[in-house]
Amino acid sequence: NEIHPFEDETGIEFFARKNDSSLFAVGMHSKKRPHNLILGRTFNYQILDMIEMGVERCTTMQEHKSQACSVGMKPLMVFNGEAFNRDENLVRLKSILLDLFRGEVADKVSLKGLEYIITVTAGPPGPNGETGLVFFRTYTTSLKKSGLRQPRVELEEMGPSLDLRIRRVRLPTEDMWKLAVQVPKELKVVKVKNISRDGLGDKYGRVHLGKQEINKIQTRKVRALKKNLDGGKSGKRQKMDVDTE
Amino acid sequence: MDVSGILEEHKNKFKPIQVDRLIPTEFDLGLLACFDMNMLDDNRLRASQQSRDRYLKELSREGAQQMINELFGLPTTVDEDSVYATLPKTTTVLPREKPIPKEKPPTRWEKFAKIKGIQKRKSTGKVFDEDQGEWRRKYGYKGVNNDDQKPWLIEVPGKADQYQDQYQVRRDEKKARIEKNTRRNQRNVEENVAVEKGMKPHEMRKRELQKALVLSKQSTASLGKFDTKLKGEPKTKGLKRKFDPLVGSADSEKSKNMDILNRVAKGESKATVINVRKAQRAVNNAKRAAASKSK
Repeated sequence: NEIHPFEDETGIEFFARKNDSSLFAVGMHSKKRPHNLILGRTFNYQILDMIEMGVERCTTMQEHKSQACSVGMKPLMVFNGEAFNRDENLVRLKSILLDLFRGEVADKVSLKGLEYIITVTAGPPGPNGETGLVFFRTYTTSLKKSGLRQPRVELEEMGPSLDLRIRRVRLPTEDMWKLAVQVPKELKVVKVKNISRDGLGDKYGRVHLGKQEINKIQTRKVRALKKNLDGGKSGKRQKMDVDTE
Repeated sequence: MDVSGILEEHKNKFKPIQVDRLIPTEFDLGLLACFDMNMLDDNRLRASQQSRDRYLKELSREGAQQMINELFGLPTTVDEDSVYATLPKTTTVLPREKPIPKEKPPTRWEKFAKIKGIQKRKSTGKVFDEDQGEWRRKYGYKGVNNDDQKPWLIEVPGKADQYQDQYQVRRDEKKARIEKNTRRNQRNVEENVAVEKGMKPHEMRKRELQKALVLSKQSTASLGKFDTKLKGEPKTKGLKRKFDPLVGSADSEKSKNMDILNRVAKGESKATVINVRKAQRAVNNAKRAAASKSK
């Protein structure tokens, strides 16, 4: 079953559709690309992005002979090096590794259950500015007393450690990435405008009235304020005089 | 009393948990991740394997320490003897697995409920059954409306025929209700399809019926000329039966007939399904008949 994701995507897409999985890893070995590892993700059963790396050095879990952590734990992830923000290949790698090792999405985590940590460090770049080796290490944590609330962390190398050299990277197409990153309206954070709180916790908001036309405001009629008051008064008086006479 | 000395001693017992960094580390606690942008000691990374691994372990320990410090600073909830830290929302943008599902157009009932302002009420799903004195489901396994819990007595209603089987009536009514429900579901589905295509459902049904009419006319030998027409049925255009001319060239007639014969002799690929058993039996019967005749 020969699968070459960079040459032919249909193999991977077929498996993704059949297994309903969106993350994939392919390992192969050839003279041209020895110890090749390809990690990637799919969106809507089509390859979104993938990264091909050569494993230059690898130590397995058995070789480390330390206590492995329980299955299913969420790892802590540490990325060392500013290259993870600068080099676009490493940015892609960071994104894929975060996705791969994310595990179950949880909003709470047990403080006792932080058993292992994965560190990814960017090695020094090559002479032509090429991306350097990436050091992937896994450790189990042990939390020791520190006299304060936060414990002291001690690490012990546990799991597989790999030295990776990035070979090829397939970046996602613009429109596919846009679709993949879309957030549905319901989940978008709605900014509440106009409401603020002062130091005491009281809620303040501004009421906007608009322009007020003072001349046209309807108020209670006060006779004394009538415009043609004198004319009207004298007029009426005259009439009354005529009657009495 | 000099307490500071004792405090110092106490402090020195434990290893420090502070980690100093020039550029503060960025955290994404929703993903349990942290990103340290500080400069790395390239010399140590280029050194021998062992010293490199030692350096990496130091870096990792400090990274882990920073994360633990942050995580222990989050608000916590206690649940079954374990302390859980509530994680904030993730800040890194990670792509979705599948595209956002399209909004389904509202069904007839949903439209009506919206106009009238009817709110959906959540029911417990169980109904109190007086006869058995216990809570039973409204429907489903051992539900209230199931026939296996049928009443031992049904009164004949005033207007009904006294020889009518009331149990049968119950069963028929239930069937009618189910059928009505399925019909309504089907109608909703059809309306959704029509809305998606941008047509009114009535229009779509009309088009489908017209298409079916034309097809049925085509299937008859006389192309629907003598079929009883429906009220308001439009005149179908372009359905003409084609007859070959009575007098034509002999060659064309010959070639047409030869074509037919060749096809029959070759056997169309679709029609070459021979029932071997039957063929064998036919051959055997013919042989037997010939044998008995010769006797």
